[in-house]
Amino acid sequence: MRRLIASLALIAAPILIANQTFAADPPKPPAGAAAATAANAAPLHGMWLLTDYPSQTVRPGEVSTIRFKLQNAGIAPESLAVSVDGAPAGWKIDVMGNGQPIAAAMAPTNDSVALQLRVEVPKDAAPGSQNIVVHAKGATQSIALPMTLTIGKEVPAKIAIKTQLPSLIGTPKSSFDYTLSVTNESGKEMTMALAAQAPGNFQTTFTEGYGTNEISSLPIEAGASKDIKVKVRPPSDVKAGNYPVLVKVSGQGATAEQKVTLQISGQGQLSLTAKDGRLSGEAQVGKTSDYTLIVGNDGTAPIENVEMSGSVPSDWKVEFAPKAIQNVAPGEKREVKVSVTPSDKAIAGDYVASFRAGGRGDSKSADFRITVTTSTLWGMVGIGIIAIALLVLLGAVARFGRR
Amino acid sequence: MQREGSPFTGIGPVFMKELSDHLTSIRMMVLTLFVIVFGAFPVASSLQTLRTVVSADAYLYLRIFTIEPQQVPISFISALNFIIPLMAIGLGFDSVNSEFNRRTLSRVLSQPIYRDALLLGKFLGGLMTLAVGLLALWLIVFGAGLLLLGIPPRGVEVARAFGFLVVAVFYGGVWLAIAMLFSVVFRSTATSALCALGLWLFFFILWPMIANALVLGFAPAEITSIDQYVGIQELAIALQRLSPGTLFSEALLGLLNPETRTLGFMLPTQMRGAIPNAPLPLDQSLLLIWPQVTGLIAGMIVVFSAAYVVFQREEVRA
Repeated sequence: MRRLIASLALIAAPILIANQTFAADPPKPPAGAAAATAANAAPLHGMWLLTDYPSQTVRPGEVSTIRFKLQNAGIAPESLAVSVDGAPAGWKIDVMGNGQPIAAAMAPTNDSVALQLRVEVPKDAAPGSQNIVVHAKGATQSIALPMTLTIGKEVPAKIAIKTQLPSLIGTPKSSFDYTLSVTNESGKEMTMALAAQAPGNFQTTFTEGYGTNEISSLPIEAGASKDIKVKVRPPSDVKAGNYPVLVKVSGQGATAEQKVTLQISGQGQLSLTAKDGRLSGEAQVGKTSDYTLIVGNDGTAPIENVEMSGSVPSDWKVEFAPKAIQNVAPGEKREVKVSVTPSDKAIAGDYVASFRAGGRGDSKSADFRITVTTSTLWGMVGIGIIAIALLVLLGAVARFGRR
Repeated sequence: MQREGSPFTGIGPVFMKELSDHLTSIRMMVLTLFVIVFGAFPVASSLQTLRTVVSADAYLYLRIFTIEPQQVPISFISALNFIIPLMAIGLGFDSVNSEFNRRTLSRVLSQPIYRDALLLGKFLGGLMTLAVGLLALWLIVFGAGLLLLGIPPRGVEVARAFGFLVVAVFYGGVWLAIAMLFSVVFRSTATSALCALGLWLFFFILWPMIANALVLGFAPAEITSIDQYVGIQELAIALQRLSPGTLFSEALLGLLNPETRTLGFMLPTQMRGAIPNAPLPLDQSLLLIWPQVTGLIAGMIVVFSAAYVVFQREEVRA
């Protein structure tokens, strides 16, 4: 009956206002009732108390917070005294606004005010449902919001974990970053302990989302989820293969696991040294000197087509034997003979010759310090000149010597 | 007519007499004082500079000889380059003609001493005097370095510095031979001194300018190739090397600056790939300066031979 009157009133309102005969008596919609029938007809006017879940579960001995709001649609703001009726004996129900207990609320036009009910349920509360009514009363408005609170059992703690990229491919040098999304699916905030089971010598670290700090545990609010990042660093000498890492998130008896996989492909790593480790040598101007280089593979995969090359000062000659190596297996070492011929016009002193081994996938260069020495031939010539001068003197002694 | 016995009989007494004459003479005192003052000033200044050096230097000791201190625009070796000829001329310009003028020459030669021995003995006596003076100066420099730098020199530094001493003695020998040649040629001591000093001034002041003028004269109007350019540069260096002072300073550069790789003209392409400031080993440095040292030694012998020939043909009776 009330519903019919209300809808009639809403439909008639514009006409009546237009006629100026009914202006003094604005419509008085009851809370939560008018919307259904009048939704399409015209914009709603009035004040309501709203909550998402009018029937909720509370647990004995705990404090629950129930969110609701005072909604104003198209009418003048008004101070409404907010109170709760029907609280069972021993329960403590307070109306809170912005964290403080309040007694009245005022919603601006076409806006709302967020409010909470703080419900303290005694430990010995009997199971069953309790009905309470929230009232908001002002000079012209009087709204009620009936709610049902059921004493319920505790929801068990539950954690969900998922990842978008559970399998990553890389080399032993790369760092594997997995982003995991952890959701707290229980009713309370939980502190999650993070752990990872990885093969020996693998390093795992946890960071939060985009943060840089390493973490070992992480608090997550009820129902919320957070991103954590697991960084796995394999040892550099790891062989090619698939390596599983088990990420475990646990808190308050609940555990969730997620397996991520590292697909490590092998990588060759060239090394280039001299035979006795000494990266220096001597060479005479214009003459060929031989040095022995060692080309090795310190990596985990073979390297093919290793070609030798060298950069030496201009007019110098450099030759390698062999010039190229077909295949260098991991751990293998090959000897390469390099012949360096300094230019005829080279000046004595130290020079840098750079030798390079380049294969498919990796290359390595080594700087070689070559001390160029000049020939002693001109020294002999000098001694010859001095000898000639002495001969001239002796000749003079023989020719001009007096008795 | 064949002469009897060695031409060098009696060289010992002449040498000893000449040495003792030199070492006790007032002239030697004056010359030594001159050299020490001339050498001590750059050394004291360079030691002042070196005491403030903080960077590591493997050849710090050799820098005493080579660096140009800020207070005096002359290094120790350039001071010596200038002063050694003066010392040698001072010792040799009157060695023969003063004897002639004092009429003691015929008296000496009436003894069983050949002219060969007389001239060589006088030359070696002068050279020994020069060597004693230079050694004293060298030891003073080394001692001052020890005292003021507080670090001992390394073996290779001592070897290079000793090489410097040897080269300095040969350089003095060249000028001593020149001075003795003039003392043989001219009867008047004043004339021979003037000629020797004139030659010294010629080589130090005029010769660089004349050499430059000669190079300009030889150079083509337009240089068209790099070989031409290198040729001109090498001609300029060769002309400069006719002066004993150039040979001396180049030899010292190679010895006392181990970083010196070449003393001649060098194209930038020859320096490609070279490690800058890498010192040469001692034997390579010696090979590098050997032509210069050869030039000094051979020049000394040739000039002495000329003096010998002139002396042998001279009338010694007065």
